[in-house]
Amino acid sequence: MTSDLKHWANKFKTLTDSDPTIGAMAKYYTCTFMFDMGTAKAIIEMHDGKVKHINTDPQPLDAYDFALRASPGTWREFAKPIPRPMFHGIWAASFREDLKIEGNVLVLMQNLRNFTVQFELLRKSGVPV
Amino acid sequence: MARHSPVTGRYVTIDVDGFEYKVFYLHNGKGQPLICQHTAGCHNHQWRGLLEDEEITRDYLVIAYDLARHGKSDPPHNVEWWKSEYRLTADHYVNFIVTLCDALELEDPIFMGSSFGGNVALQLALRRPDRFKAVIPVEAAHYAPGFFLDWWRHPHANAAQVCASGVWDLMAPQSPEMDRWLTWHYYTQGSEAFKGDLYFYSVDHDLRDELDRIDARRCPVVMMTGTYDYLTPPEATEDTARQIKGGVYIEMTDIGHFPMSENYPLFRIYLKEALRIIRERTGG
Repeated sequence: MTSDLKHWANKFKTLTDSDPTIGAMAKYYTCTFMFDMGTAKAIIEMHDGKVKHINTDPQPLDAYDFALRASPGTWREFAKPIPRPMFHGIWAASFREDLKIEGNVLVLMQNLRNFTVQFELLRKSGVPV
Repeated sequence: MARHSPVTGRYVTIDVDGFEYKVFYLHNGKGQPLICQHTAGCHNHQWRGLLEDEEITRDYLVIAYDLARHGKSDPPHNVEWWKSEYRLTADHYVNFIVTLCDALELEDPIFMGSSFGGNVALQLALRRPDRFKAVIPVEAAHYAPGFFLDWWRHPHANAAQVCASGVWDLMAPQSPEMDRWLTWHYYTQGSEAFKGDLYFYSVDHDLRDELDRIDARRCPVVMMTGTYDYLTPPEATEDTARQIKGGVYIEMTDIGHFPMSENYPLFRIYLKEALRIIRERTGG
């Protein structure tokens, strides 16, 4: 599981850092967020549109701005090339499925354009659950 | 040789409930008027595919207007609108549409709108079945709470991007990327009106106790919703149509909340079926 998580983190970082849509408006895309997939967790630290660090072993007091928490099944749906209806984005899944958006939602809103693009990269990276 | 579109635009000034509006509309075609309302916080370019659809505009005069405060339709010119918060009500919305149809001298128009335009289509069917030949509520329901949010114009966030990316996954992932990004682009332009529009959509529009007063046998109601619409999911629209006498529900597969804008080639298949049903029920 640990190696799966690290492999996923490397892939997600590479996809993010090379994505032209994020790159087109990368300046100031700086925030830190957690993906809580139930059996796997990661804290992604963004700085000016690039992945500065992905913490694949978060400890109880490790900080982040906001978190996305859902069951492993929901994350697997997020990662399909064409997700099923209601699993095709964070708004859809928070309105209709089990995704919870927690923490400082203002930071998410301030970075929503780039975060939305980055989140869909899960369809290429897959998820480690 | 200039590559002109057959679509042309005009302004018309109307008075609605004491407000003077200079309304911009696009039009193309001839025959049965088909007047189209864009979604909340957006403008009439969402109907760009329909406006240039040669097959449909052969028999239908397609008109797509910008609601006041959207696109090229200004806020009212005769009041200091910047001194009060914009909140669209069902009464004013209905009066705006009927006044515009009167000003354009439209006889028995078919009204089609999506999202908050779909919800007002239901209001028109309830309040003015005498004025419209039929209505096509797209992505609509009799009650749609939950989207009247402060985030749409929060001063600490980029409202244009919050609105545009906040509605991104109202669209289906299968819809063409170019059309989804065009829709995103339109949504960056309407953030000041979006929240006020959603006051109607999620708060003032509430027909839970009034659906039995809509008679689709008098004014046909053909409802259509996409399977990727999380805001008005298919079961919500189906539930609404089921409670309307003579109401029709069409489910649109693999499309979302902005069907005319995110994937017109797919939407037109369903639209043609809706128009066929209306012709069948109204005798032409």
